[in-house]
Amino acid sequence: MGDLGDKKGIGNLDSPKMPYDYSRREYGTVARDTKRAPFQWVSEVAYKNVHRIVARGYDTTELMEEGYGVVDVLFVDYQARIPLVEEEQMLNYVMIMALEDGLSMPAAMSRMVAQSKTFLTQACGASILAFGHAYGAYSAFGNRLERYLKMAEEQQLSLDEAAERLVRENRSDEALGVSSLMLEDPAAKRMIARAEKLGVAGRSIAFTKKIVQAAQRLFDEPVDLDMLGATGASMLDLGFSPEAAWAIMAVTRSFAAGAHYIEEVERGECRRLGQTLTPKAYYDGPEDRPVPPLKDRDNHARAAVCKTPEAWKKRFEKMQSVYGSGFRIVEEIADPSKKSGIKTVGKL
Amino acid sequence: MQREPEIKRKTALSYKTEKKTVLRGYNLSELAEEGYSFCDALFVLFQDRLPTTNEEKMLKYEMGVFLEHSMSPSAVAAIGVSAGRPNLPCAVAASITTFGGVHGPGAAHGYMLNKYIERARREGKSLDEMAKILVDEYLDAKKPVMGMGQPQHIDSDPRAEPIHVKQEELALDGVYLEFQRAVEKHFHARRKKEGRSYVGVNVVGSGNTALSEIGFSPNAAWCLGSVCRGFSCAAHALYNMKKGRAWGASRNEPMVQMIDLSMIKYIGPEDRTVPKQAQRQAYARKQKEEGEYEKWVI
Repeated sequence: MGDLGDKKGIGNLDSPKMPYDYSRREYGTVARDTKRAPFQWVSEVAYKNVHRIVARGYDTTELMEEGYGVVDVLFVDYQARIPLVEEEQMLNYVMIMALEDGLSMPAAMSRMVAQSKTFLTQACGASILAFGHAYGAYSAFGNRLERYLKMAEEQQLSLDEAAERLVRENRSDEALGVSSLMLEDPAAKRMIARAEKLGVAGRSIAFTKKIVQAAQRLFDEPVDLDMLGATGASMLDLGFSPEAAWAIMAVTRSFAAGAHYIEEVERGECRRLGQTLTPKAYYDGPEDRPVPPLKDRDNHARAAVCKTPEAWKKRFEKMQSVYGSGFRIVEEIADPSKKSGIKTVGKL
Repeated sequence: MQREPEIKRKTALSYKTEKKTVLRGYNLSELAEEGYSFCDALFVLFQDRLPTTNEEKMLKYEMGVFLEHSMSPSAVAAIGVSAGRPNLPCAVAASITTFGGVHGPGAAHGYMLNKYIERARREGKSLDEMAKILVDEYLDAKKPVMGMGQPQHIDSDPRAEPIHVKQEELALDGVYLEFQRAVEKHFHARRKKEGRSYVGVNVVGSGNTALSEIGFSPNAAWCLGSVCRGFSCAAHALYNMKKGRAWGASRNEPMVQMIDLSMIKYIGPEDRTVPKQAQRQAYARKQKEEGEYEKWVI
């Protein structure tokens, strides 16, 4: 082996359509770049050496010895500051409320993973993946709140006007923070009351209350503040970014997901490959049909290639009736990297 | 709106109605309103009880000191996943799933303690005697003693001894701390006798001992540690998502990036020509017969 003789004649690589001569491309890895600083893990959050672990400038062991705790460190890591006592109390409150939610998605996902005889950490990790832009949508909720607050400032709208616009433009969104979920459960409103009592309520809570009022005027059915709205607004007023709130709440729930994993293992049984059946009653796809002989494949198969936009559109619409094909879903996946980069670090 | 549970299960953990969410019998709102801490709630979750004041302090300390660890496998995983700019929870989930048999093996340490304490009880030996047996059995079998040594904090983990001391200060020293201290004593003595360097207790050895002492099972303790680390890993991922360069390979950054091409060092088979399909069977047969490929099989 190790022979690298004639490299011509491999598939289409000699095609004149190729914009380069593939056979002449070099082998071998790329030499180390000595014109730039070597790679290092760059962090504003924390560092460690042999003897210390330091987060945002504070030695974490010294923090604990001084009587700070796990909840304080969240402020240190995410906001580079020590919280007020009232802020620490409020975050404790919020995290207790976020800890457990019965057999909802994170618990279900944890339990399903547990059935496959995994590590506990796999189940805890899986539970966090339940947090998206509908369930536990703290990022979606918080970013929208901040966007409309900014709009209110720029367009000189009152909070009432901005709230009404937000509700009109997002009334069917799962991350509104207002819904029919908590009509009989006072927990969300109690959280807001606690934030106000502790003196940590700010403009996010004030705006969220306006959103609730607007929704109650505009919706036909009864609605009220829900836990997403109360938690999201409280976290923003505690100074956490929407993404930080998303992560902290998801991780908080993951502790309970660990308990669900343990209970599932203690009470349940494992699932094997092929064990789970799906009753035909659940199925609404094509009727059972014979597999055509392989030699007749081209008589049965229809290429998806469309030669005109009209044909493409026709096929696109037809495929929307095929559940599972993905043609019913239209979403935008943003690339937030355009403005990123750390230009100040690593210059030689 | 469909409000049925995702899966049907009998559970002793919690229930949720349209009016309240109840954890082990306690209305969550009432628990929070009364001024209990998040750490208190974790005792309710895993142990079905409220802790003493000192037990709550111990958990608050242990989780606080464990939460942030800068660049460990968990943070690196979170940063690596964030390079593709998925949703943030993917990076956090990845970080927690790095906790296995080596990184923060809290459950394994807990099971080890439980196994040998039970042996001491069954065999009528003191904890000190059984600790020596543990150390000898592990080292004779050339297995690392769990809870000892840390690849970065080679001169004693900055979190470990302070946790032991805090546990003693809070008068929470019981069988676990007595046994762990004895393990450390015999471990140090044997290494010294063999002329080997000092290796200190790590945060699993001390932190997990404290968590076991305040009543958490091995898996519950593992959950507390590994999930708690998720908080800081999310911060590291978020920092990189907001301020770092996506993909981690840009040549426009002044510093060489994480997966710049020059970071790849290849030590596999030499570059070689792809065989023509017409030669494939003969080529493949020869390759298999020569067996040189076997040294690359993983």
